Amino acid sequence: MLNMIANLLKVLNSEAEPGQISLALCFSMIAGLTPFWSLHNLLVVLLVLFLRVNLSAFLLGLALFSGLAFLLDPLFHVMGLAVLTAGPLEGLWTTLYNSTLWRLERFNNSIVMGSLLFSLLIFIPLYYGANLAILRYREHVMQWILQTRVMQAFTTSRLYRMYQSVSGWGWGGGA
Amino acid sequence: MSKWIRWQGVIAFVVVVLLVAGVWFLVVDRVIKRAIEKTGTMLVGAKVELGEADFSLFPLGLTLSRLQVTNPDQPMTNAVEIARIAFSMDGPNLLRRKLIVEEATVEGVRLTTPRTASGAIVRRPAEAEPVSKKAMGDLFSLPSLSAINVQEILSKEELGSQTLVESLRTDLQAEQEQWQKRLAALPDKAKLDSYRKRLEGLKSAGKGGLGGVVGGASEALAIQQDLSRDLDQIKSAKNSFEDHVTGLRKRMDEAVRAPQEDARRLMEKYSLSGSGLANVTGMLIGGTIGDWTATSLRWYAKLQPLLQRKAERKRDVEIVKPVRGKGVDVRFKERAPLPDLLIRTTHVSVEVPAGAIKGQVKNITPDQPILGVPLTFEFVGDKLKGLQSVKLDGTLSRVDPARPSDRANLRMRGYRVEDLSLSKSEQWALALKQALADMDLQATLRGEALNAKLVATLQSVQIASGVKAGAGVLANAVASALSDVKGFTLKAEVTGTVENYEVKLASDLDRVLKDVVGKQVQAQTARLETELQSAIAEKVAGPLNELKASFGGLDSVGTELASRLNLGTDLLKGVKGGSPGGFKLPF
Repeated sequence: MLNMIANLLKVLNSEAEPGQISLALCFSMIAGLTPFWSLHNLLVVLLVLFLRVNLSAFLLGLALFSGLAFLLDPLFHVMGLAVLTAGPLEGLWTTLYNSTLWRLERFNNSIVMGSLLFSLLIFIPLYYGANLAILRYREHVMQWILQTRVMQAFTTSRLYRMYQSVSGWGWGGGA
Repeated sequence: MSKWIRWQGVIAFVVVVLLVAGVWFLVVDRVIKRAIEKTGTMLVGAKVELGEADFSLFPLGLTLSRLQVTNPDQPMTNAVEIARIAFSMDGPNLLRRKLIVEEATVEGVRLTTPRTASGAIVRRPAEAEPVSKKAMGDLFSLPSLSAINVQEILSKEELGSQTLVESLRTDLQAEQEQWQKRLAALPDKAKLDSYRKRLEGLKSAGKGGLGGVVGGASEALAIQQDLSRDLDQIKSAKNSFEDHVTGLRKRMDEAVRAPQEDARRLMEKYSLSGSGLANVTGMLIGGTIGDWTATSLRWYAKLQPLLQRKAERKRDVEIVKPVRGKGVDVRFKERAPLPDLLIRTTHVSVEVPAGAIKGQVKNITPDQPILGVPLTFEFVGDKLKGLQSVKLDGTLSRVDPARPSDRANLRMRGYRVEDLSLSKSEQWALALKQALADMDLQATLRGEALNAKLVATLQSVQIASGVKAGAGVLANAVASALSDVKGFTLKAEVTGTVENYEVKLASDLDRVLKDVVGKQVQAQTARLETELQSAIAEKVAGPLNELKASFGGLDSVGTELASRLNLGTDLLKGVKGGSPGGFKLPF
């Protein structure tokens, strides 16, 4: 837990591009909300490693969204089942169902379909929302936080020492 | 561009994927083993253990070694033990999540092998096996061969006559109380006498001139009306009383007849009557046949998940509940439909003490409607030790899920039976020490309707009956008759449903035993009948006499009602004139 908080502070206070952090969060949302051992998550992992997104943010987001998925599974099931049994889409699903690649993807499972659809719908709003939030944080909050007594006390704490110890990790900065 | 691309990430991706694949390949055998053991244990209700699972990629296949399926009824015994199961899988279809096996080999199948450790599992109450509605031991009971004690029977049996007499006595008391109250409310003798006095007063007033005569006429009319009303009340009460009495008298007659009825019922239950002897075979070996039927049906029920999966339809798509995992899988139309699991041909070699029985099972799938053909099986064994030939074939069809239809035929020739226990009763143990049997069994299950017919012809028979010493003449006669039996035919028929079935047995043993023990049975029956009748009569006599006395109390009510009615009727006649003491108008 301490490690996670330290990582979060490190990521937010780093000089990484807000876009790299936001994109990492968006990818972690897909991987975290949908069943992890799904074919599309192989693509997500490839993109996370290939694109210069912030890996610390991705791992943090993955833990966060995986926990959230337990709560949202009933909603995903209802959503997925509604979409999969919608009359106008039956032709599309039937075509996909007859393709080996899509069968491997398990798109016909209500939770896979519901969670993937939900993640894709939220992807772009989350990207821009997170971008904006990071910029605002760095502009208005970061300096103020660093100057507060609590934060100054914090910098002498064990947590901060931990933060410092991980600050040298090469992958965390996204560079 | 390089700001967004991280080329070394591709290498990391390949490394991660290879690492995951490597770990998966290392643990896959263990995962498969655990999955088979867990699912098998859940289906059977006792431990299913697998020695080893070996998954291979080239060629794609799976080999299972030493599969043990515990018999849930005997946890120290395996119902089935299989030395090796090997099958190759269709790779492209596996990618589509379809396990298609063209050919499987099942070698070294052995039945009822001993276990080193118990295979029992702790069951939750909800998973407990449903108990058959009729415990087979209750279906058939051996006739009692010891002397039947009438007092013992009466002490544990409830007599219908006693209950009837008691209930009638209570009702009679209630009726008496009710009628006493009603009598009190009805016009009584005093009231009727008051009418007489009013009439006499009227007579004397009539002698006082014309005015007295006119006034007397209107008073006479009023008396007549009042009296008629009272008489109507008495009449109605009398009619109602007579109806009640008729009903009670009917019940009284039943109560008088009830002791004979009790005697007849207890005779049927406890005596070796004609109907009891009509199916001695059923009594002797029905329990054993019933146990076999129950065991077969229990294993058949455990096979059901292999034949048909649970699914619901929504429009043109099918929603299938997966055994494990979250959510539901929605199934759409396929261009070339294939079941999710299909084993086209399974070669099986079963090792029984007599030798090897070989066979084939075709089209094992829980999705028969998709495949369009049913599961078939055929096992054949020839020239075995102690068994000339055996053939088992059949079909399990779920092609139309609304009309499931299963069929099995067994044909056995020259089966040498040795030490087969037919009845384990303490009182009358019975064993087939030796026989040569030919057997034909045909069983069908269409929907809920179960029908099975077994015909067995036994020759060179030696029956050992363990009748206890001092069991009496009848027991010894039966034992002697059975020891003389050298051959018999047995016919069994199972009808009904899987949940509620009936086993009927018939055999020429019945005739043999009936002839031998008939005289002893007749004598015992007559003695029992006399004793039962007198014992019941003695037990019921007291309450019955009390009942008759109570009924006499009701008669007094009837007499009182009749007397009031007669008195009132006479008075009414007097008012209308023409009767002695009546009032006659002068015009």
